[in-house]
Parts: sequence; structure tokens; C-alpha cells
Amino acid sequence: MDRNRKILISILAVLVLTSVIAIVDISMNMQQKRGAGISLTGPQIGPGVGIARIEGPIQMLGVSSPMSATSGAEGVIRRLDELEQNNDIRAIVVRINSPGGTVAATQEIYEKLWRLRKKKIPLIASMGEIAASGGYYVASACDYIVANHGSITGSIGVIAVSPNLRGLFDKLGITMNVIKSGRYKDILSVHRDITPEERQLIQEIIDSSYRKFVRDVARGRAHVQGEDGIKPIADGRIMSGETALKHKLVDMLGTFEDAVDKARQMAKLAEDAPVYDEVKSSLQQFLFNMEGRFSGRNFLNPDPRLLQYENNYRIEYRYLP
Amino acid sequence: MIITELRSLRWADLFLFSLLDPRALYRQIYRKEPKSFALSFTVPAAVAVMDIITLSLLGKQTPFFYYKITYGWILLFLFQILTVIISAALMDMASQLFSFKGNIREFIILVNFSLFPRVFILPLAYVFKVFNFAPLFFYTFFFMGLLIWSAFIAIQGISEMHATGLGRAVVVYLFPTLLMGIAIFFMVILLGILGVGYLAN
Repeated sequence: MDRNRKILISILAVLVLTSVIAIVDISMNMQQKRGAGISLTGPQIGPGVGIARIEGPIQMLGVSSPMSATSGAEGVIRRLDELEQNNDIRAIVVRINSPGGTVAATQEIYEKLWRLRKKKIPLIASMGEIAASGGYYVASACDYIVANHGSITGSIGVIAVSPNLRGLFDKLGITMNVIKSGRYKDILSVHRDITPEERQLIQEIIDSSYRKFVRDVARGRAHVQGEDGIKPIADGRIMSGETALKHKLVDMLGTFEDAVDKARQMAKLAEDAPVYDEVKSSLQQFLFNMEGRFSGRNFLNPDPRLLQYENNYRIEYRYLP
Repeated sequence: MIITELRSLRWADLFLFSLLDPRALYRQIYRKEPKSFALSFTVPAAVAVMDIITLSLLGKQTPFFYYKITYGWILLFLFQILTVIISAALMDMASQLFSFKGNIREFIILVNFSLFPRVFILPLAYVFKVFNFAPLFFYTFFFMGLLIWSAFIAIQGISEMHATGLGRAVVVYLFPTLLMGIAIFFMVILLGILGVGYLAN
């Protein structure tokens, strides 16, 4: 009986602990919604600035796990839709911390932002550590771009990387049996050299995507400079926020808070107008961070070999150091 | 005295039996070892707190939560006590209709302890909230499940109390629900007639 009693006491202790964790979780969520500091005022309501975040490599479907919120281009577009439909949102700050990503996913986000821009919703891009290549492509759809002094940006260009493992295969005595319907069906195969014709085909895709990149950046930055101003620096070079300002790729050096202030100013909102950030459970964020740590995931600089095996035909607007 | 009683852990048996053996729970209540009347009210109090936290966790989280968790649960607790007392009184009445001996005090204790499984709603719903996997569906699902479990405890206890079969115990248990359901039904009809009369004039 004593053992059973002790088990029951343990169950009661677990229940108390769960309650405490839940109360802390709810409090932390409310704290995040309210912004920094403990305030005695009520919840923030009324017209304000919405925040959309683009973090990590841009791809159509983002990192998906039971612990994470939906991410990827579809997640970003869904968030932008939410903000568009919310009557309280008068301006949007797009916080970018991304080295770019796949061509189609980047273009989808760009077009969504462009539609919002045409609806006269002030859009302000705020660059974090990195907003290069596709990250900059997306930023260029905004009315105003704010970069930190040390933000890495630029890298206007397209890249496709495919490993050639022929030597390794020869060494191991591995041969591939390929039965194909056309001569280019196994283009970018890892087990053989690329032929000049195949290289030409890929180059055409790269060139076409590059032209679209430059054209879209010029369209977004038309109020500052045209395609002629963009082309000389659209050679894949990366640059700091300061250099980008010199080349008119960004409009201002500043922090995320400066971007929010600029958004309020452009939307003619009060200085203390509320900011509506993406709401995530603090416990969920904590678990997601843990998951990232345990799986050794590095969003900024993933293992290129893994990427190539995942999809050999990946052509990207991406800064790959 | 109270400290000695607490350290003996005999009180834990009441909670343990409510989960594992409702008939033994009633026998414990009957023997009054330990005295369980005051202790039984800790269950609706805990249920009130757990309900408030769970609903706040699943619903919209606003600063009103602080009021709910400090004062709101007391209101919910009082409401639950009222419900328990009314239900126990009606069950007692139903028992006497079956020619059983009435004992409202034991009914109150039994109904209070029968609510104990409902404290598990928080950990169960929380898991699905954290994994963001249909939390509202699972909350409803577990809520219904725990409600049935509570009913099962009370019915077994009533059966043991009156040394009768489960069928009669079910009737005694459901009597308050039926009576209140009928009362609400007639109130709705009355309000409907009044409403139609008001609109017609």
C-alpha cells in the first residue's frame, strides 16, 4: 500500500508541475505578444504593423516537424495572407535572415509581396545577419529596405551545383545501368561527366533565371535606380549593408526597430502603434530549438552533398560560400 | 494532529481508490478513516484550477488570464460546489425513492472524489497543444472520456453504498441530470412562449 501511496503522491506532484509549466508558458506567450517589459496596460489592439519572417534557406515547403510552426515559402505566403486580411495591419515589416533558396519559391514570395505593394500596403524589408541572393530578391519587392551595417547582402546571381562522383564510382567499381527515353533524361547525373550540350542547357536555365532576377530587382528598385544601375554589381558579389547602401541596393542602415519605426511613419501610424508579430508558443520554440541542436542542423550553411542527393536539379538564387 | 495525519499518507488512499477501486473508496468514506468530508473539496478546487489553465492554454491568451487564475477559479470552484451539492441532494432524493437510506454527506464526498480523473485533462490536452496536433479535438475527446470515467466512479460508489446493482445505481446517478434536463426543457419552452407573446404584442 505504501508503494501505491508514493506513486499517487508522484502523480500529484507531476500534475502540480504541469500546472506550473502551463502557467509559465501562458505568461511567456502573453509577454511575447505584449513586447518587452512587463506592462500593466491591456492587450495591444488597433491599427499597427505586421511582421512576417523569412528565416533560413527559402524553399517551397519549409522545415516541418510536429514541434515547429509551418515555414518555407508556403508558410511565408500564408502569413502574408493573414496580414493582408487583417484590417488592423497598415504596414508590413518583412524580417529577412536568409541566404536565398530555390528559384520558384523565391519568386512566389516576391510576387506575393509585389501584389501587396500594388495594394499600397507599405512594405519594409529588414535585413538580419544575411539577406543575400534570393534573400535580397525578396527584399527588393519591398518599398523600403533597411539593412544593418554588417548585414551580408547582394549575391545577385543564380547557381546550380552538382557533384561529379565518377572518379569515386570508378574506384569502387560501381557502374550505373541507365535506360532513358531521351539523351538528356539523366542530365546532372552524379556518376558521369557533364557533356558540353548538357552544360549549355543548364546554362540557358541559369541565364534565364538570372535575367528574371535582375529584371525583378530593377522593377522593385525602380524608384532608386534602373536595370543599368543594377547590372554592374549583379555579378554574384556579396557586400555589407554599408556597401549595399553605396550601391543603392538598400535605402537605409538601421536595426529591426528602425524598420518598424519607418513602417509606422510610412503608414502614418502613431509612434507607439502596436506591432503584430508571429505568435508561436514559447514552449514550442524551445522544443524546436532543441530539435535543431540535436539533429545538428545548420540552416545557414548546410552540407552541400546532402542537398545534391536530395535534388540534383536544384537551381538556386542562393549565396553558397 | 493534522501534520501527523498528513504524514501518515492515509489520505492518499481516498485519491488512489477513486482511480483504481471506487467500491473501496466508498468503504473508506463509510469508515471515516481518515475523515474525508473537508478533504473531498480539494478535488473540485483542483478541477477548477486545471479547467481554467487548460481552457486558457487552448483558447486566446490575454492578460485576463491573471484574473482567472487568481480569482476566477474561486468562482468556478464555488459553482462546482453548488453543482455537487445540488446533484448530491437530488441523488439522495432518488435513493430514498428507491427506499434506500439517505445520506447526503456521503453523496457529497463521493461525488467530489468522483471528479478526480478530470484533473488529468491538463497534461493530456497539453501534449497535443505542444505538438499542435488537433488540440481542440483531443481536448473534447479526453474531456468526454474523463467525464465518463467520473460517472463510472460515482455509479460504482452508489452501488456499493446501497448494496444494489449497477442498473439502479445508474438511475440514481442520472436522476439529477434528468431532472435538471426536464427543468431546462420547460424553462426554454416557457421562455419561447413568453418571447412569442412579447413579439406578437
